[in-house]
Amino acid sequence: MTRVPMEGKVLNENDRAAAELRAEFARHGVFVVNLISSPGSGKTALLERTLESYPPGRRVAVLTGDIQTDADAARLARYGFPVRQITTAGACHLDARMIRRALEGWSLAQIDLLFIENVGNLVCPTSYDLGEACKIVLLSVTEGEEKPLKYPGIFFKSELMLLTKIDLLPYVPFNIDVAIANARTIHPEIQIARLSCTTKEGLDEWLRWIDARALSATKASPAAPELVR
Amino acid sequence: MHEVGIASGILDAVRKETEARKPARAVKVGVRIGEMAGIDPQSLAFSFEVLVKGSDLEPLDLAIEPGVADELEFSYLELEVP
Repeated sequence: MTRVPMEGKVLNENDRAAAELRAEFARHGVFVVNLISSPGSGKTALLERTLESYPPGRRVAVLTGDIQTDADAARLARYGFPVRQITTAGACHLDARMIRRALEGWSLAQIDLLFIENVGNLVCPTSYDLGEACKIVLLSVTEGEEKPLKYPGIFFKSELMLLTKIDLLPYVPFNIDVAIANARTIHPEIQIARLSCTTKEGLDEWLRWIDARALSATKASPAAPELVR
Repeated sequence: MHEVGIASGILDAVRKETEARKPARAVKVGVRIGEMAGIDPQSLAFSFEVLVKGSDLEPLDLAIEPGVADELEFSYLELEVP
């Protein structure tokens, strides 16, 4: 019996498809964001406020995933940008092949910024690379501040944690400092922003973050502005 | 949820690796899995066993070693020369 070293990542079919997508996004200069959260944390609301604030010529597009219904695509299509619904018919996450199929017929050369709204779930989407430049996790203040500890994978892999629904802070027993400390326990470098899609507090900061991050990606530098010390 | 895909990826790589080393055959493959890799080792071991059974690679063992963070990498391959 002989033992030989074996190197390289264990790639499954999804990783291969994601690597192809990533190369294609890079070739066309598309900055891709994968938004992940529990159901009801405000991913669609965030995209509504985001699209609403963009001028008509902005080269942005959205893919939105759900198990059933095209309700989210209908909500998001009102802003005049290309939006497609991915209905997974039971699957609890999006995978790279679903993204490839959903992009058919779109010219990537016409898109600078692509938001992918994942299926509401803090577990399964964590493991599926979609070829994105960065993952962003949303945590609403109506959830528990211990979520980063309960679901460490997604907080570890996300570049930014967006604390949403902060207008509700006076009414819920959510300790924002504890939530941030918990997220940093899992991922010390995670960036943090807070916003309310109802009052629009923090919206400008979010929009600036995305623009700066997209810019740094096209310059092939991973640095993005620090939001919270 | 996706451990079958991972197991199938491991088998593909083992097949490729042993192809170049014929007539030796693989008896064991070692992989490193980090705690943040999002892989359940038990579920992976089960998927691996099911996929190996009846395949050209049977018998083949899987050894799972603890890795760092979200690591999901090959470690070694044990070969038997007939």
